[in-house]
Amino acid sequence: MAAPAILITAFVVIGGMATALAQSLGLFPLVGPPSLTVAAYAAQASDLPVGIGLSLAIAAASTVVACLVGFTAALVIVQGRWCGKLVAALGTLTVPVPHIVGAASVSLLLADSGLLARLFNAGGSWPELVGGPWWIGVVAEYGWKESAFVALVVTGTLATRAVSYDETAALLGAGRLSRLRHVLLPLSLPTLTVSATIIFVYSLGSYEVAWLLGRAYPEPLPVMALRLFNAATLTARPEAAAVAIVTTLLSFGAVAAALAYLRRSTLWR
Amino acid sequence: MIPAVRVEGLSKSFPGTGAPVLDDVNLTVEARSCTALLGPSGAGKSTLLRAISGLERPDAGRVLVGGQDMAGVGPEHRGMAMVQQRPLLFPHLNVLDNVAFAGTVRGVAKRAARADAAGFLELVQLAGFGPRPVAALSGGQAQRVAIARALAARPAVLLLDEPFSALDPELRSVMHDLLAQLRRSVNPTVLMVTHDRSEAAAVAEKIALFSGGRMLQHDSVERMYSRPVSLEASRLMGGANEIPGTVRNGCHHSALGALRLPGDTTWPPGPGILLVRQESIEVGPGNGPGLHATVSGLRVLGPRRLVSVDAAGVLLRAEIPWGRALAAGDTVTLSIPTSALAVVDDPDTAHTFPGAEKRPQITVQGLATLASIDN
Repeated sequence: MAAPAILITAFVVIGGMATALAQSLGLFPLVGPPSLTVAAYAAQASDLPVGIGLSLAIAAASTVVACLVGFTAALVIVQGRWCGKLVAALGTLTVPVPHIVGAASVSLLLADSGLLARLFNAGGSWPELVGGPWWIGVVAEYGWKESAFVALVVTGTLATRAVSYDETAALLGAGRLSRLRHVLLPLSLPTLTVSATIIFVYSLGSYEVAWLLGRAYPEPLPVMALRLFNAATLTARPEAAAVAIVTTLLSFGAVAAALAYLRRSTLWR
Repeated sequence: MIPAVRVEGLSKSFPGTGAPVLDDVNLTVEARSCTALLGPSGAGKSTLLRAISGLERPDAGRVLVGGQDMAGVGPEHRGMAMVQQRPLLFPHLNVLDNVAFAGTVRGVAKRAARADAAGFLELVQLAGFGPRPVAALSGGQAQRVAIARALAARPAVLLLDEPFSALDPELRSVMHDLLAQLRRSVNPTVLMVTHDRSEAAAVAEKIALFSGGRMLQHDSVERMYSRPVSLEASRLMGGANEIPGTVRNGCHHSALGALRLPGDTTWPPGPGILLVRQESIEVGPGNGPGLHATVSGLRVLGPRRLVSVDAAGVLLRAEIPWGRALAAGDTVTLSIPTSALAVVDDPDTAHTFPGAEKRPQITVQGLATLASIDN
């Protein structure tokens, strides 16, 4: 039954990766005869470590912010009061907004010429939130958008059992913080881990937000790959593929680490 | 110190429901006693338990534990623990850590909390089960762990919300024995919700009977069966015989004749319905002494039989053991001990009770006899 879906997915994923890998290793040149070489990787060897570090940092910071905000929002939603319903509605509205629209909104809001800077009449003292050295605009956009995703997914997990376990823990003498630490957080951990992995891999591999809200240099890996792919020099295409392959390997590493962690979890088993 | 629990004028309604779920409930549960909250589904028993535990805020009234008003006191500070129909063991913890949960959140060192928990596991006869994941337990084992976890919290008041209703009859009986044993060793004040009369009688000294959010009667198990305060209470306790008549001079006059009522109670004169438990009626051979009757039906109730008889125009039911062969049309004699009789006076509610039409009805002959007595 699942064979057609598996075949199509495998064709796209494995075919795409194989093409990129072949191109990065010189086996699929746009011009000239194919020859096995790591020249494309070597050409970007000086920029890759910085790009890897920056991409990992943005992805990690975005994931942490999204999980913290999303988990808090989920706790508010499962309480079932009016503010929970409001948070659920806001989260539901946030999910379908495209990242590029989110990035434009963050720019309009947080840039030094943006709404908040004008509202507070900050003049030249407004911090470099957009295009600054700390990539705060990028992290804020991912954190905002993905926190809604985390909130809805964790709410789905907690909604059916959070209240009964929370009440049971309360009657065993656990205060609010103890219940959060010893019951709600552990119950949400597998869902949080899966959500965090999805967010980490997404923010590691997507370019548009970092491209719009980040600085020109250093570049995160997906922005670097996009620039190289669109470069006037056709010989840069293997280098773009090399950067994409490095990004993919990092993503695989993150997914493998998450699965290894989940396998140890009682709830996942 | 183990406290008494007192509920005063407790009322609770939920939005969208017409009638209140709890309507002016007053109940006192003595320290170290076990009271069963008995009644059909929707009677308000579980809501009362949740209000006592602090999980539900009442609209009116108050809960006092050891004389202290619990208003504004959170569930975690009330010194209570609850075991529900589902064990609700924390799935991310193994059996031992579930039982050690109360100690852990109290700040007891992990090793000490686990050592304490192992003792409670032993108490519920699950020594050695500590390292197991909760998913590896059977229903009965999981419920024992839930009880051990509740007891490890050292509750002054233990609340049980139909804790054994999902277990098979044999296991329920084992759990009743276990509860009795735990009460001997730990002895907290226990309130247990159940809709099973036999279970209430097996585990509790007193029963509080609920219907439609009201408490109908709170009394000892024996008196709940032998002296129901109303027709509704009698029917909820499973009483099957109701004979209209009149009380005069300590006797109930009906189609059955004049039956002397128990002397330990003053029975007000006037119209009244005589109640006789079906288990109390003895059925003898047709030529023996007693009230003559004719068998009109038989139903098997496992180890016993429910015999329907026509006695002087009144249909009665008697629950008797297997033994002498009986068939419809046989003539028998009935013996009804005085101590088994009670009279209630609320004929107006009789027709409103579900299943009223299936209850024994007085025949035309019986009505005529009653009319002659009243005249």
